[in-house]
Amino acid sequence: MRKILVIAGIVWMEMWRRKTLHVLGILLAASLLLLFSINVSGLGRIPGYVKETGLLLTWIFGWVMGINIAVRQLPQEEKRGTVYAMLARPIGRGQLLLGKWFGAWIAVSGSVLCFYVLTVLIVGGFGGRFGGVAMFQALTLHGMLLAMITALAIALSARLTQEAASALCYIVTAALFAFVPRIPEFIATAGGWRETAMLVLYTALPHFELFDMRRRVVHQHGPIAWHTWALILLYGAMITAILLIAAWLAFRKRHFSRTAKD
Amino acid sequence: MASNMSAAVDIQGLSVTFERGGSSVAALDRLDAVVPEGQVFGLLGPNGAGKTTLMHVLLGFVPPTAGQAAIFGTDVRRAIARQRIGYLPEHPDTYRFLTARELLHTAGRLFGMRGPALRARSDALLERLDLTAAANRPAGTFSRGMLQRVCLAQALINDPDLVILDEPTGGMDPFGRLQIRALITELKARGKTVLLSSHELSEVEMVCDSIAILYKGRVITSGDATTLVPDGESLERFFIRTIEAVDKGTTAPAGKEAPHA
Repeated sequence: MRKILVIAGIVWMEMWRRKTLHVLGILLAASLLLLFSINVSGLGRIPGYVKETGLLLTWIFGWVMGINIAVRQLPQEEKRGTVYAMLARPIGRGQLLLGKWFGAWIAVSGSVLCFYVLTVLIVGGFGGRFGGVAMFQALTLHGMLLAMITALAIALSARLTQEAASALCYIVTAALFAFVPRIPEFIATAGGWRETAMLVLYTALPHFELFDMRRRVVHQHGPIAWHTWALILLYGAMITAILLIAAWLAFRKRHFSRTAKD
Repeated sequence: MASNMSAAVDIQGLSVTFERGGSSVAALDRLDAVVPEGQVFGLLGPNGAGKTTLMHVLLGFVPPTAGQAAIFGTDVRRAIARQRIGYLPEHPDTYRFLTARELLHTAGRLFGMRGPALRARSDALLERLDLTAAANRPAGTFSRGMLQRVCLAQALINDPDLVILDEPTGGMDPFGRLQIRALITELKARGKTVLLSSHELSEVEMVCDSIAILYKGRVITSGDATTLVPDGESLERFFIRTIEAVDKGTTAPAGKEAPHA
């Protein structure tokens, strides 16, 4: 475990020193302050509207950061040649992979936590309120969603180039967000084998929409039942584990040699 | 596997085949070699001979297609085999956002080192490689020579018993080369084993106890550095003559003593 944390520490240091978080934090704060300072179509000073915008920006930043940071971990190691010195130490490929994923996940989740705090502070400063328990649940579910997204990015980058893995990861995650919740509509109109195929697809694909509590938070609908919250977290952990196992299977036998390609 | 316990490196029937454009290319072909403990062993060969691939197999970067290799008796496919290794790659680079001291601490922690022992070892290496003044600067601000030295310091952080150096003086100025040679001599004096790959044959002559010439994935000749090369002939001339003899299909010039491989 200590070696995994050392590898994760490299990811955190890189992110901190490259100031990714700082730039996005400033962008978020500037966007929210701008929304409060101007009155766009008479909506600008409604805290609910700004709350929604703040959480949406936090989600978009988390999504972009999650993919961008995780997807570059393994290809960058190879590109700059540091993978050779890294793997020349007594660490297994699985440890390297877990360290990279854990580092990316915690770094992105930490940043997202900062964005939530920033949103709460700014919205609160203008009279808006968030329910504490619902906010906690939203935050933890968002963290678990980021665990899945970073694991998917790591799994794709274990075999593909950074660019290809990044593009594919954006497409897959966007498709999962947009289309999986709509599959029941297709099931209702399909029949025969199509219905069965849709059902299989609906069961097998990860349900990212389960991790989205923004509407409940913005419209003060209160928290979800704790056992539901725990089950969704467990489901997220299971999907993350499956993705990390897939990443390890792709990575464990990979050749690392500048003189040969596998 | 049957291991030679007095050998730092024990290679038996090692083959590595890569798939390229639908056809198989043998990078290493049933290679046998033994690197005795405490020796400076020079690995020579033209480009594409398989030197780097051999090193990469020993380090676990490339899995063997057939055969076995062990380091101090432990199969190279096990991560623990690398506990006693230090490695300097041909094109060393590092995390440029970390300082030299942070890089050494990070490397040490991956070997299970910690606390005052790690700090003392890091300081000693920074001092030994003239990096003390730059210890708290990010590696991104370093010159190429400094980067190479900090990578070398990382390779030595665990006080390895086997140091694998792949073209360690490539791109270095004469002072840097001198420093590397002095370091190899120092490691040898401390009983460490050094596996050195280099195209600088004069350098190999100066520091190596034994040499092996690799060509087309096989060891074509090997032996004691002082006796393998005939009197009055340079290592460079011997090397070229050996490669040419293999290309012409004649027997490679034999060493004066029984070869290691």
